[in-house]
Amino acid sequence: MSDHSHAHDDGKVHAHVSPFLFMVAIFGALVVLTVVTVAASRFDFGSANTLIAVLIATAKAALVATFFMHLKYDKGFHALIFVMSFVFLGVFLLITLEDVDTRGRVDNASTVRMHERRGEQAPGGFVLDPRGVQARERQPAGGGAHH
Amino acid sequence: MATEVAGAHGHDEPDHLAPYLSQEAGRGVKGWLLTLDHKRIGLMYLISTLLAFFMGGVFALLVRLELFAPGRTIMSAEYYNRAFTLHGAIMVFLFIIPSVPGALGNFVLPIMLGTKDVAFPRLNLLSFYIYVIGATFSLYSIVTGSVDTGWTFYTPYSTTSQTSVVSMVLGVFILGFSSILTGLNFIVTVHKLRAPGLHWKRLPLFIWGTYATSIIQVLATPVLAITLLLLAAERTMGVGIFDPALGGDPILFQHFFWFYSHPAVYIMIVPGMAVASELFATFTRRAIFGYFAVAMSSLGLALVGFLVWGHHMFTSGQSEWATMLFSALTMLVAIPSGVKVFNWTATLYKGSIELTTPMLYALSFLVLFTIGGLTGLFCAVLNTDIHLHDTYFIVAHFHYVMMGGTVMAFVGGILYWWPKMTGKLYDEGLAKISWLFVFVGFNTTFLIQFVMGSKGMPRRYYDYLPQFEIYHKVSTVGSWLLLIGFSICAWVLIKSLRSGPKSPPNPWGSAGYEWQGTESPPVMQNFRETPTITRGPYDYHLCTDEELFDGFPEDLKK
Amino acid sequence: MASAHSDHGHGDHPKFLAHHFDTPEQQFDAAKFGMWVFIVTEILMFGGLFVAYLIYKGQEPSVFIEAHRRLDWKLGSANTIVLLFSSLTAALAVRSSQLGKKNETTMWLMITIACAFVFMGIKYVEYSHKFHDGLLPGRYFTAHLPEHAHNGQVLPQRANMYFALYFMMTGLHGLHVLIGASALGYVLYRNLRGDFSPEYFTPVEIGALYWHLVDLVWIYLFPLVYLVG
Repeated sequence: MSDHSHAHDDGKVHAHVSPFLFMVAIFGALVVLTVVTVAASRFDFGSANTLIAVLIATAKAALVATFFMHLKYDKGFHALIFVMSFVFLGVFLLITLEDVDTRGRVDNASTVRMHERRGEQAPGGFVLDPRGVQARERQPAGGGAHH
Repeated sequence: MATEVAGAHGHDEPDHLAPYLSQEAGRGVKGWLLTLDHKRIGLMYLISTLLAFFMGGVFALLVRLELFAPGRTIMSAEYYNRAFTLHGAIMVFLFIIPSVPGALGNFVLPIMLGTKDVAFPRLNLLSFYIYVIGATFSLYSIVTGSVDTGWTFYTPYSTTSQTSVVSMVLGVFILGFSSILTGLNFIVTVHKLRAPGLHWKRLPLFIWGTYATSIIQVLATPVLAITLLLLAAERTMGVGIFDPALGGDPILFQHFFWFYSHPAVYIMIVPGMAVASELFATFTRRAIFGYFAVAMSSLGLALVGFLVWGHHMFTSGQSEWATMLFSALTMLVAIPSGVKVFNWTATLYKGSIELTTPMLYALSFLVLFTIGGLTGLFCAVLNTDIHLHDTYFIVAHFHYVMMGGTVMAFVGGILYWWPKMTGKLYDEGLAKISWLFVFVGFNTTFLIQFVMGSKGMPRRYYDYLPQFEIYHKVSTVGSWLLLIGFSICAWVLIKSLRSGPKSPPNPWGSAGYEWQGTESPPVMQNFRETPTITRGPYDYHLCTDEELFDGFPEDLKK
Repeated sequence: MASAHSDHGHGDHPKFLAHHFDTPEQQFDAAKFGMWVFIVTEILMFGGLFVAYLIYKGQEPSVFIEAHRRLDWKLGSANTIVLLFSSLTAALAVRSSQLGKKNETTMWLMITIACAFVFMGIKYVEYSHKFHDGLLPGRYFTAHLPEHAHNGQVLPQRANMYFALYFMMTGLHGLHVLIGASALGYVLYRNLRGDFSPEYFTPVEIGALYWHLVDLVWIYLFPLVYLVG
């Protein structure tokens, strides 16, 4: 693990000291990216909206982690576990999304309409429409209110 | 080294070279409750998890007693629901999850690593107290109306049940933090505090297993925390995230819950495997066959454990695509499990097997875990699972893994490390009798549940059809045998504490690091001087006779 | 590898070095490694809420877009800048403590903590607006009633899901801001006491890492909740 410390065998702490102006420049870049993400939200990229927001946020997060949190000068293993947390989160998100998005596709007979009490379509519920999820998403907001 | 530090602190500073159980190592109640020593914290965990095991066991006996005859036997259906819920919740969250890592891991892990303590001793004590607080909240729910949702807290029932769900959920939420902090502490300790010469390929398999477990604890438990927080918000504010009546998705709760709780299954079983590996090595007097494969299979289980949570939800109404994906991925679990089982079996082959009580528990572990694991494959096959889901087949399957696996390994581990922990030997003869009762009792209770389940007896039911009566009767009788077995075992340990003969440093003649260079019980800083590791933990061929049999008592020598 | 326990005979065990560590470097590495593992747990905890948010947003995009217009993106942007700036000052506090400049460290830490309070102040303004407009989670949600119409429009009742998630995400984040500020307060106290030196600045580093985590969460939270809806 301690490959990096081979250069110093005195057992003392040797941490990288970042230049002051460099840190301020990183802050400047973060502010610029904040402006970019606000500006980008003014335009409608359709379904890519969320993706664009997440990508810009990831760029900002990468700046913070790399320079403010010193990952660049730190042990590679710290960067690895940091990235792994996003990988596991991605597994959770993607498989759960996969379930939610494909419910009722194969065995349409099992579909039920939940949310009877209010007469609205439940987000997690199934629809009887064989076109499945796509059909539901095309409906206007609150459109299910009359069933 | 230690003496140089002592000057900086007050006169209350414990003597680092005194046996850790002695007064010099920490005085009175305060010396225990405020101790930062991993061995004392481990013992406190041992006592509290055994108390939890006792409580969970009482509820199990009550459940079995109620099912002895159809209809009402000793309690009403409402109380039956609460009894099995409390049995499950206590056994899972208060007992199994903290048992091996908290009790045995805390005690053994730093000694095996050749270090004085875990990386963050204060955090370790904090983790124990968080456990106590969490346990208090969970148990508080018993006096305030109890919980009847099953340990899984499935919505929407858990959001509408009139019982004390919030208190239990809050307790489990807090217990999660204890689990996270223990895992974090162990990961850092394994990385940063290994003795000189103890490189990764020389790590004992107990460390590998505990390390893999810690990774799961750290990655999965936070999701449980958020799940329970959402559930509590749902109950207190009606936010509707999991409530179909409010536009939420109850299946999403199951995703959240099982994203933690399936990896948690490996939090429960991998430490059991870790203990069993140590027992097999010591009592066959040889290196574990395929050491590296066994070590990697622990990490493999940790990884694969995160990809299969949906196999608990085959009949929940989740998407068929997800169901198929999870079914296929679940088959992968068999690979690392199989690697372990085959390697342990290969270790036994031509080993000089010594049938001590810990070894008997380890062998039971091997047999029972294999049964539990293979029946798990039946449940992973989709069409079979539709039939078996929520029947006693499932109950038997996971009891074979959790109890036949982890509990057997845990008891074996307690007996194995007991001389090191307490400095006392126990009565092997009586312990073997208790093992016999436990082993026979366990199989009487649960083997027949496979049959009952495959014939269609649903789990968690209060009443049943007459054709299932004989199975339930046999199963209940088995639970009494278990009671007798564990009672004898408890008596063996109490007797050992009161009047057991003094243990030599290495009563089993083991080559394991924790038996070498330490006293029984160890001194406060574990080693009088920092050990340097020059061989693997199971290199019996490199050990001298003095290392293995020095101070070996005559009556154990045979 | 395994450079642990290499200083058998050394007599110089500094006061800040715990007895079970052999070298300051080992202790520093362990503390930092522990913090990174803890950061992983925090990411997964917040991640759970993000997963819930993204799933429901995917289910009812129009409701979420309508609901998110009730948030004030200007206040959200201001808070973003405040947190980013506090992250900078936290990093500068680490830098000055590495260089042994005690007074400078004090200044940067105080600015960071002040930013935490500014953040919470802005949050308070936002929350009180939401409370006033009936934009509350769960059964307390009343923004679908005519008396809470905004520019003549009411939200559908299903928008309560959005606000439930909004309050839980920002609430949990706010809690972390408070915890982080308290931790930095303790670091500040120890700095004033003169505990730190270029040889030992671990708590400053650890406190700052935690503070950056608080910032990281907000970096994702802000565009997803305030901007995209």
